[in-house]
Order: sequence, then structure tokens, then C-alpha cells
Amino acid sequence: MRRPVTIHGIERARAEITLHVAAGDPAAPWLSTLHVGDRVALLGPLGKPIRLDRRSHHVLFVADAASVALLLPLADEALATGRQVTLLVGARSGTDVYPSSLLPDEVEYVVATDDGSLGHSGSVVDLVIDYEAWADQAVAAGPAWMLDRLVGFAAGRDRRLGVARLGRRTGRRATAAATRSAGPAWLQVFLPQTVGCALGICLGCVVPGIRDGVRVCRDGPVFAAEELAWDEPS
Amino acid sequence: MRSPAPAVEPDPAPPPEDDAAVERAPVDLSVDLVPSRPGALVLNNPLMAAAGCLGYGFEAAEQIDIDRLGAIVTRGTTLSPRSGSPPPRMAEAPAGLLHAIGLQNPGIDSVLDRFAPRWATWQVPVVLSLCAVSADDLAALAARADVPGVAALELDLASVDLTRDGRPLSLDAGAAARTTEAVRSASDLPLMVKLSPAATDVRAVARTVVDAGADALTCGGGLPAAAIDRVRSRALLGGRATLSGPALRPVALRMVAEAAAAVKVPVIGCGGVVTIDDVIDLVVAGASAVQVGTALLADPELPLRLADQLADHCEGIGAGSHRDLVGTVTDISGRRRR
Repeated sequence: MRRPVTIHGIERARAEITLHVAAGDPAAPWLSTLHVGDRVALLGPLGKPIRLDRRSHHVLFVADAASVALLLPLADEALATGRQVTLLVGARSGTDVYPSSLLPDEVEYVVATDDGSLGHSGSVVDLVIDYEAWADQAVAAGPAWMLDRLVGFAAGRDRRLGVARLGRRTGRRATAAATRSAGPAWLQVFLPQTVGCALGICLGCVVPGIRDGVRVCRDGPVFAAEELAWDEPS
Repeated sequence: MRSPAPAVEPDPAPPPEDDAAVERAPVDLSVDLVPSRPGALVLNNPLMAAAGCLGYGFEAAEQIDIDRLGAIVTRGTTLSPRSGSPPPRMAEAPAGLLHAIGLQNPGIDSVLDRFAPRWATWQVPVVLSLCAVSADDLAALAARADVPGVAALELDLASVDLTRDGRPLSLDAGAAARTTEAVRSASDLPLMVKLSPAATDVRAVARTVVDAGADALTCGGGLPAAAIDRVRSRALLGGRATLSGPALRPVALRMVAEAAAAVKVPVIGCGGVVTIDDVIDLVVAGASAVQVGTALLADPELPLRLADQLADHCEGIGAGSHRDLVGTVTDISGRRRR
């Protein structure tokens, strides 16, 4: 099967693209044996990317330890375009946390650990409430249970902040309509990749959407929180 | 009873005397899958896309020249729409793929209304794969399917296994035959019946299914399988998955040999086909056509290259058609052929 990889960075001057391969990927040993000059077949770019609204000046990134690398290129780009970035990372313990020395100085880095050995004791989702007013947009990557809780939390943001939206109709419908027309959703989630054809053919990656199933490969891997149907974490 | 094909001879024609270069006749890769009704289902080449692996063909048509395929077998289609299984739906196995799509499909009416008219504009024959819980439902599906754009039907006995409780059809020659009969009576379209690798007595099921009206047999597909999520100590993929891919190749080979020994109709091989050697193995074992399945997920263009390679192979050994090679290796199963 083809291996899913994400773009970690692009160096235009040297015409180099850095790809991120998950450590647990069965192909990682094979990839690590390749040499400069070897050829690999690459299919892409596939799917829909994360959209940062040009009006978003404060961007919140939320990830678990394994997924931080997925969001770093976007964090770099956000900083390069003059935005402020806060990164919230959850890990089992302090030893699993992404080293702050590898992050740009301008990123505000806040950590939560399950065992309390570093930072906040508890889930990274607990930290979001302190930033939901500050953040114009949020992007999250991590396991399904974390995304599920985040999406549930984000659904109450407008109410908590007392946000009033102008619209022809009043009530919840007006909020949803205004949200859809106002650019990218507040929270976008980056769903984990699964094995499959990556072209939308095999239906191996389908997850429940609000109406029909959506294909992570073709309709995602980035989704607005409102696009997905979340029930109990599997 | 299939007699061994004559030994392949080099092209006996003497070289032409005039100066103009004369091209050899191109290798004839065409296959008539219903020889009892010539012209009913003729493929330009024996490489088909197996059920489920190219969907209904439209996304694939964006990537490859769809008309160069021998045929496409669609995703399994049911009477009512199905949303399919919850995620995750796929996992890797040592020599293959575990999948539990759950027969997600928009239902027969939507498929015939929206897709068949588009298929009718294609050169490639589209074979509609039918899945249902009961023989009555299968008959209802078959009866509706005779519309422009649908070239043939494939009845997947294994997917009927998925949705039934009780004795799987592939193990029960009588039930398999009755199911085939129900579909046969409902439609005149060319009918391929797909036998599951779970069948222990392939010859018996093959014979009864052909007697019941199958025009061709597809031998292969996936096996019921399971996987466990080690992190959480529970079943992956709902505990009911299908194993497909290279692990099934030797199983498909034996099925094709057994079926080809038992029946006179064309036999189609399916299971773990990735290389030209896999194709030729199935052909010499008795397959008139070959389906590519799981490998399509990594490379939708594979069958097109395999067709070219098959033509090259035939040319290299001086065969005018791959049909000269069908069934040339006998007695694969170790039992004497009747």
C-alpha cells in the first residue's frame, strides 16, 4: 500500500520538500534505507489543506505529542505572516513532550501531562478555555478522543463569549449561517490518515459527516469541526 | 472437459520478400466471456478491475484511461442505500489488506439513475456487482439492472455470506445454485458468479452454479478474517473483516484450476494479482480473464500496464493470443482431471 506522509517543510530556494513519516509507519524502516538519488513514486498533493483566514491574527494550535510535527509547518507560516501563535500540547508525561528548544521563540508553548510531571496536570483540552477568546482560529491534530472533546468544547464557544452575529434570522440558525459565510471555521481538525487508495475510490477512510460519510483522503484530511458527526469516542 | 491447448509454435509465416516492413498482427487479447451467446460480453483484454476496488469508476476515470481496461466490476450494490461500517475500515496484514467497508453504496436505484447513463458513454464494459441478504432481494436487484450502461452482472456469493447468519453459501452447493437460479430467472444479462475462497469443494459449487445458469465463474476474492488492536485489546474492524491481497494469490490459483477442471464456461481468476507473472500463472491454470483488486489501491493504472505486458509476453513466445495459454498447466490440484 502507499504510505501516507505529510509535508513538513518546503525550501523553495533549494527546491526541497521535507516529508514527515510517522515513526510507527511500517514503511519507516524501508524509507530509512534510501539514499540521495534513489527514486520514490509520490502521489499528491491530496486532500484539502488547513485554511487560515487572513483576518486571523491569533492562532491556537492544539496537539498531542505525536501530532505536533504535523502542525509545526503551519505554525512557522503563521509566524512568518505576522501572526501570534500559541501551541498547546498534551502528553502522557514530561518525557514525551516536544522540546521547547526546537520551537521558534515567538511561539507561546503550554504543556499538559496526564501524570502532572510537567505543566498542567490533566488533558490538553482543559487548557483551551484560557485561549478561546484570544484565538481567532484554532487548529487541532491528535487522536479521535481528543478531537471529539475539543469539538464538543468548541461548539459552546459562541455562547460562552456572548458572541452576537448579524443575520436575517435570529437564533442558532443565524449563528450557523453566519459562521459558514464568514470564512474558515473557528476550529479545524486534522484527522489521522488511514491506509487506502488516497484517491477517494475505495471508501476505506470514510468517517461519519453530518449528512453522509466523508472521505478523509479526498474531502479532508482537514475538516471544520461542524462538518463531522461525533458520537461516543470509539 | 477442457482439453489442453496445443503447444505454442513460433510464427511459421516466411518473411515477406518486398522491402516494405510488414507489421506482425498485434496480439489478440480479446476475451468472449459468454461464448454461448457470442458478442454478449466481449472484453478487449482480459484485465478486469475487481469488485469494490475501483468504486463505480468515476474517480478512477479522473486518474486513468478507463476505456483501456478489459472491464470494471463495480462496488457491491444493494437494494437500499447503506452507509457502511464505522471507522476504522482498513488495517494492514503481513501479505495483504484487511478491510471492512460494510458495503457502503447509494443503493441500486441511485446507481442505475445516476451512474448507468454515464457508463453507457464508456467503451469499457461495466459489470454490476450484486449483494443482498436473500435470493429474493438478489432477484429484485437483477431484474432492475437491465439498463443501458450495465453490461453484465456479478453475483458475489461471499457478500451474501456477510449479511446472512448461518451456513455460508460458498460451502453449500445447493444454496449457491438456488441463489444463482433466482438471479438467472430475473435477468438475461450475462451473469458471472463469484465463488468465495472459503469454498472447500470448489468443483461441486462450480458445477451446480453453472448448471443453474451462470455464464462465467469468478474464482477468488477475500477470506473472512480478523485483527486485534493491541493497544486497547479489542477487535479491530468490528471483528469481521475481509483479507485480500497477495496472501490470497496461491488460493486463487488453486480455485481457478479446480473450477476450470469442473466446468466448460470461462473462469476468471481473482486474488492478489500484482505482477505479470501473477496474471500468466492464473491464465495457464485455467483463467480466461483476470481481476486486479487490492493492488488497484496502490496503483489504479496497474491493469493497463499488465495488459501491455501480457501482449509483450505473448509476442515474445510467438502466441497470437493469450487464449492459447489458457489451461496449459494441468493437474495443479494434484487430482486427476475428469
